[in-house]
Parts: sequence; C-alpha cells; structure tokens
Amino acid sequence: MSIRLFPSFLLTLFAFYFVSVFSVPAVPIAGAAEQNGGQQKTWKTIDELSEAEKATIDFRLDTPRDTAIPYLPAEPYPFEPPYTAEEMGYRSMEFPHVSRWSHAMADVFGAITSNGYLDEGITIGFSHYLPDQDGVPGQLTVAPGEAYFRMAFYYTYPPENQDLQDLWILRRTDQQETTKLDNFIYSPTLRRVRRQPQPRRDAQFPNSVQSFDDIVGRDAWEFSWRLLGTDVLHETVRFPNTRPTVTLAQPDGNFYEVPADHIKMLGDTYPHYTDDGGVACYVVEARTRKDWLPNYRIGKLIYWLDRHSFYPLRIEQYDHDNQLVIIEVRNAYLVNPALEGRGYAGLFTVYYDIGLDLMSYSAHDAHWVREWSKEDQRTMFEPDFMRRRWLKYPLKTQALVYTPEKFFLRPLLYPEKFPDERKIVVSEVVARRIDAQEEAGHLVFETTSQLSATKTP
Amino acid sequence: MIQYKRGPIPALRSLLTGLLLLASVSPCSGYFLDKQVHSLVNSWSRFDRFLATFDPAGRYVRQPIERQIPALTFKGFYRQWSDIQLSGDRRVGNRKKDFRFSQMQHQLELELHYQISPNIEITNVNNFVYDAVYNWQDSAGLYAPRVSETTRVYHNFERTVRELYLSYRTHNLDVVLGKQQIAWGKMDGQYIDVINGMDRRESVQLEASDYEWRRQPAWMANVTYFFGANSLNVLYIPNFEQDRNPVPGSPWYSPLIPPRDDDVKSLLDGRSEPSGDTFRKTQRPSAGDFGDHQYAVRLDVSMEPLTWGLIYYYAWDKNPSPFIVGSNVDADGNTNLEFQPKFQRMHHIGITADYASALSGVPFVGELPLVLRVEGLWTRDVPFVDFDHQQAARDGSRNSGIVTRDTMRAAMAFEFAFPGNTTFLFQPSLLYTFDWRESLGSGFGGAVGDEWNVLPVLYAERPFRFTRDRLRVGLTLIPWISGPIREWQGIKSRLVATYRFSQFITGRMTYTTYSSGDRRDVYGQYNHWDNLGWELSYEF
Repeated sequence: MSIRLFPSFLLTLFAFYFVSVFSVPAVPIAGAAEQNGGQQKTWKTIDELSEAEKATIDFRLDTPRDTAIPYLPAEPYPFEPPYTAEEMGYRSMEFPHVSRWSHAMADVFGAITSNGYLDEGITIGFSHYLPDQDGVPGQLTVAPGEAYFRMAFYYTYPPENQDLQDLWILRRTDQQETTKLDNFIYSPTLRRVRRQPQPRRDAQFPNSVQSFDDIVGRDAWEFSWRLLGTDVLHETVRFPNTRPTVTLAQPDGNFYEVPADHIKMLGDTYPHYTDDGGVACYVVEARTRKDWLPNYRIGKLIYWLDRHSFYPLRIEQYDHDNQLVIIEVRNAYLVNPALEGRGYAGLFTVYYDIGLDLMSYSAHDAHWVREWSKEDQRTMFEPDFMRRRWLKYPLKTQALVYTPEKFFLRPLLYPEKFPDERKIVVSEVVARRIDAQEEAGHLVFETTSQLSATKTP
Repeated sequence: MIQYKRGPIPALRSLLTGLLLLASVSPCSGYFLDKQVHSLVNSWSRFDRFLATFDPAGRYVRQPIERQIPALTFKGFYRQWSDIQLSGDRRVGNRKKDFRFSQMQHQLELELHYQISPNIEITNVNNFVYDAVYNWQDSAGLYAPRVSETTRVYHNFERTVRELYLSYRTHNLDVVLGKQQIAWGKMDGQYIDVINGMDRRESVQLEASDYEWRRQPAWMANVTYFFGANSLNVLYIPNFEQDRNPVPGSPWYSPLIPPRDDDVKSLLDGRSEPSGDTFRKTQRPSAGDFGDHQYAVRLDVSMEPLTWGLIYYYAWDKNPSPFIVGSNVDADGNTNLEFQPKFQRMHHIGITADYASALSGVPFVGELPLVLRVEGLWTRDVPFVDFDHQQAARDGSRNSGIVTRDTMRAAMAFEFAFPGNTTFLFQPSLLYTFDWRESLGSGFGGAVGDEWNVLPVLYAERPFRFTRDRLRVGLTLIPWISGPIREWQGIKSRLVATYRFSQFITGRMTYTTYSSGDRRDVYGQYNHWDNLGWELSYEF
C-alpha cells in the first residue's frame, strides 16, 4: 500500500468500525428465517375455538363497572370464569417483572448487540410490598398517589457500578396522579443520595431493551383489552447449545447446576403442561388508551397468558404502525406457594428489540420470599439508608452469561401466528443472523459474504 | 405476517465501497470487495467482543484475592487523564505559559473492604498519582514540584492513604471512625459539601465529578442515628485539612498573582532575597488542642415526596487569612508589612431539599418528569482581606487588615427527563457577600470580586442509541454574571463525549473553553487556557 493511499485506508477502517458497531450491516438476504419453532399449528383464532373452549371466555367488550372506581370491572377480583379479555389483563397484572410480594433476590442482567458486545451486571434487590395483601388487591387498597411498593437495589457488578444503589418507591396512579415512581440513587463516586426524575415510562434504559414499564408492570386500566385467540407455547427463553448447564443459587448461598434443557417454562411443579410439554395460553391484545397514556411509544401489546394463572409467558410490543418492535419471553416457577397460582415469579426473561437486533436478559436468582423485620422496614427502604453502603443481605449468584457466545438465543418470531394481528418486519441482515443462529444453535456474530451465503428460503 | 426490509444504510454502504476502492491496492472484483468488507467487519467485531470482556486485573488479581480471603472485597481502577492546551506559548499576566499539557495524570486507586463481622468492617482506599507534565515536556513555566512535590506525585502517607476507617453498623446507628471524606448535599457543585478540604490544583477546571479524588480526607468520628425515615449525623473532627490551591509553577496557578514566574524561580534558586512584605509560617489548628477541633451536625428528614435537611458546622476556614502583625520601613523608605497567615473560625448553617414531580400535557413530550433541588449555605464570620485597611496599615494605622463578613451561597436545580434518556438541568446559583465594599478581597462562600455573582448553569446530556448507548455527549455552560462592578466575568463551556469500550474500560474526550470576561475576571483570566482533554479509565 502506498503512503499516499494510507489516509484513505484509515478512513476506510473507521467506516468499517462505524458499520460494524453502530449500525446493521446491509448485506442482502440469502434466506428467510425459520421462526415457527418447528411445531404444527398451535394457535386458534376466536372463530376456530371449540364450544367447550368458548365456554370459559366472556367475549363482551363492555362489562359493568365498579361503582367506586369506574375503570375497574364490577366483578370482584380475582374474577370467576368465564373471563373477559380485560379480566385476563387484570389477572396478568399479578406478574410484573419484579414479583409483587416482599422478597430479596440477586438480579443478574445483561445486554448484547448484534455483533456480540456484551454488557452485564448484578444487583441485589430487596422488595417490600407495603399493603397487607399481596398482589393486585393490595395495590388497589392504596389510594392513587400513595406508595404501595418499595424496591432497593444494591449493585455489586461490574466494578464501575459496585456500591451504586437505587431506591424505587412505586405509587398507584390514575389520570390525576400520574407520578408512578419516586426514584433515588446513591452514587459512590458522588457519595450522595440524589433524587432523580422518574424514568420516562416507555423509554428503554440505556443499552437495554427494557423500559421502566417493562420492569414495574403496566396497569390494566390503561389499556383496552381484546381476545385474539388461544395458542400453545413450547418454548420461551432459549439457551444456546454452548451453555448446556446453568448455575443457580439458593438464598442460603448454595449453588446448584441445572441442565439448560430441563428448565421448563413454568417450572417443574406446574400441573397443566400439555402432553408434549407445552403451555396452553390465551392470546390477548392490550391497546394503549390515549386518554390514559398520551404520547406512549407503544401502540399495543399482545400477551400470551397461561390459561390457569394468567402468567404472561410472552409479551410483544407494537409501535403505532402496528409493527412488532419488542418481544419479551419468560421462564417462571412457583416461588411463593402460599399464593398458589399467583405465586409464580420469573427466573429468566429475555427481551429482544427487532429493529436494533439488541437483546437483554434478566435472571432473578436466589429468590428469597420473606417478611422484613420492623427494623428492616424502617431502615432499608429509606433513601438515607443508601449512604451507609450497607449490603445487609449479600446474596450470591453465578448466573452471569460471561461470554457473548453463551448468550440466550433470539426469541422465536412465530410469523405464521395471528397474521392479521401481527405485522413483523425484519431487516435482511437480521433475518440472516437469525438463520445463522438457528443453524448453529447459538448466536452468530460474524456476517457472511452475500456472494458466499448458501442458505435459501 | 413477516416482511423483510432492505438494509437501512445503503448510502453508508456505498460510501464504504467507495472508500474501499480508494484504499485497495489490489484489483477489485465484486466478490473480492464483498469478502474484504466482511472480513474487516468481522475482525473488528471480534476485537469488540474481546474488549467487552477484557478484565485482566479483575480475573487475575481481584478474583483470586477475593477467593483466598472471602471477607475481603477488593476493587480499583487505573486512569490516565491528559489535557492539552490549545493556545500557543505566551506570557499571560505573571505566568510564562510555555507548556502544552496541563495534566498527564496517571492514577491508580485500590479500595479494600474487610468484613470482620456482619456489623464491623475496615475500609482502606489508597491512591497513587503521578502527573507527568513536569517531566515529559520542557517548560520554564512549570516548576511546581520545587514548591510542593505532591503536585507531581503522591509521595507520603497523607496523600497515598486517602481513607482508612472502621465502621460499625446497627439498624439505628452507624459509627465510622478514622480517616474519611464526607460529601454532604445533593447538588452539583459545593454548597453544603464543606466538611473536607479540597485539592484545587485544577482551579476553575475542578469538576464535581472529580471531588471524590480531590477532597482532602480527615481523621474524624462520624456517628449517625437513624429514626424512621430520618437521621441525625454528628461529626467530631480533631484533624484539620486545609484546601490545597494551585502552587506557583503549576498549570492552573492564577496569572493574576504576582510575582512573575522568573522572580519566583529566582527566589527558589536562592539567587535573590525576599523583599517587600514578609510572611510568617502559617499558624494551623492543632489536633492536640481540644479547642481547635471541628464539629458538625446534620439532620435529614423525609416527608415524601419532599426530603429536606439542615446542617451546622463549627469549622475553620479552609484557607488562611493574612493578618498584619507588624511593619517595617526598608532602605528605600517603603513601608513593608509583616503578615501572619492564620485560619479563622466560622459558623456554617445550611439547608438542602428536593422534590419530585411530573408535568403532564407538555407539548411534544407528553409527561415530563422533573426534580427540584435546593441548597443553601449561610456562613458567619468569614474573614476577608480589606485592602483599604492594608493601605491604612502602610500609612501607620494599627489594624489586622482583615474584616469579617457573612456570606451566602445557594442554588436551585431543575432537572428534567426528556425522551431519549436526555437529561436537561438548569441550575441558577447565587454567591453573595453581606455588607460588601469594593476594597474587600475574596472570602469563603462570598461573591468573587463583587458583591454578588449569579451562575445560571445549563447542562444537557444524552446517550446515542445508534451506538447502543455506548456514546454519551454532554454540554455544560457556566456563565458568570456579577454585580455591581464587573457585570460579566466570562463563560466556561464544557463539551464531553464519553464512550464505553466495555463495562470495564471507558474513554472520554473533553473540550473546555473559557471565553470573554476581563483578564482580571474569574474565567476571563483563563482565556488562553482552552484545552482538550482525554481520559482512559479501566476499573476492576
């Protein structure tokens, strides 16, 4: 290479870097994605439901209202079958990302870009559910504007975040009381507890797919609900073949190994698996109500709710053009048996932003259901506690992914399901990456030449 | 229904192809070009993945140590920060500004926590700093190590061992004994954050983000009693640590301060004798004298969504005041004064509060979350040099040359969370000297060079999603408005781009300018100190 050409070469290198890191390479597609999970038709529209199935569903869209709180159904929670789509939505409120009961856990999280840039962290979470009743009924006992949940997070990894702390105080909202969160942060480098503006509810956190609402959950009354049909899911969170086992922790600090393919969608004790290991789901649409959520980034969500506990195993977010933008899939297990069907908690959750080809995950390890002592209640969940830098219950975890090659697979797209309701647009490059992933059984970060690509539709 | 769309950046791809054509020295077939593009993209992708998990100190130092000693938590960082001046060599006031780098600092921090029991812990934080500016460039204007070696390297226990304390915790009580630093307050900037002295070697370029490494930790007893959502914090500080201001021959030593660099070096070399006014050795408060100790108390109250707090601090001024203790007439008939620098007692009374809310129905953004923070400090008996009194002393009057005034500094911050994780902050600050007159110098907490100063600080920062939020850019503007005399003392602008190479390695570029204002003004005097800085930090 001549000296004269050297600056051009540097410029070229820069452009390569820009392309590879900052954008999706524009490589022409060579093949379509295999995205049906290899199953036969598992889904039914309302018209395809049998009479027996229809008997469990109340198809009304306009049901009597609660006299005191008009946005609630008149029927007392937790409702009786047949269920309306709205009632299913209320029941699914029981299962936000962070369980609705007092507990501690090691929250392991991370994100990976399409070219394999991995970012991970660990925070020890302490949650104190304030109402006397757990779950949604507890939230409804507090007045709008009042706090119902306090969550303290103590970051232990990576080193740059060690001793960083967050305190979230969740408030019940309505159309007048719109503040959902009091947010305090302790920064070890500033050595100060700072009150922060609440995150914008629909905005994704930096370098993550998750938004604030993805973590704390959405209130059913902010959406219009409609049943789309039923489905049987066979996979949600998928582990790569490069990660045959997962190390999980007990709250007492003991670790145990679990073969990744033994981790079931709703745990070992779930009694309603189909003969082929699937979970029968209602599929419901929640359309954003503009009078409740003006300027909300999400136009609608589609939930796959387990038909017995209404646990959301899959949640899809659509923009205002009805285009799928984010997929959330979960594995859960019965953590709090005292609550029976309401006691399921997420173990692994994977979020996928289709446009950015960005994935993030969360693992709630060492889940410890507990009643906090009076002293803990008075101290640990107050902003001032954070400047003591006192990790009182240091739960352990080894659930980090550690290397890009062991990251979770992208969730299945299921393009054939409910095609009239689900508009999925995938870039050619992403489609090829998905192809390569499905073929390899793990994420593939390197692009192939369009001229040497071999996969065909 | 699934659709496939074309790649989103055809223009960029065309550019890339064009660039490759320019750069390639081989004959280009389409196949070759395509392979070459992907080969390079994949190589970079591999490097990016390697960098993302590159943590040798964590893997080979931290983790083995923590495995061997489970009660020990070990962490640290290495940081290289450099600032290069953008203006050429020149004389500015009394300074010979013939250097380009104003800092080339290498900093290693090691932090250890040893858990003796669930309630008792020992903490030790050590800093090792070497600033290469004095060795790596040939400059007549940089000779600060001859005045204080600390400007070049932390070479003694006092500077290297930054923190060493024992902490004992129960639900209602925290007791922390030892060398430590305390950061009171909630605001950017120092309002009630006054407990420790500060190393102000960067003068106007000391940023709030660097306070952690620039505070001067002191030996003290720190006791906090927690009751409900409230707390009462009491400090007993026998050890006094003063501010460390830029010394002559350091990059940020004010060009306004005489004598000239050549004269200072002549004195240091012993080529000339001190003449004119003379200064005795500074009288410092003594740790051995109970009457010299400092005391502070802070009350914090939470009344959600409002939290507020009050502080009181019986303290020493962190900078000595030159008291006139004598005078003499030299051979030329000039009256020279003899000064005794001494620290003076002061009373600090402060308040802090914050409140959160959300504005609804804001055009274009809908709901707009915001936080309001307020902080203020009223300080009694602040010593000020009075130049009229000094002149009177030269004319034969007997006085100390020092008067005391009350001062106030306060700020109110409005922080907004806009879409795209964009933060916008507006923080007007006020510095005020009560009973001010033009003959006064500067004193703690008061306005600089005037009766009042107002600093309407603007700050905006956002990450860029197309970089997966690895790139953040922030802009800070600090105009310095002043009255009734100077009106305008310049503006400081700071543009910062931070890029996360990984969760362990971060790079930062900073462009700082000091514009307008008179050469005697706070920022105006540094008009030739515009600089570009870069920082590379590895945390393990």
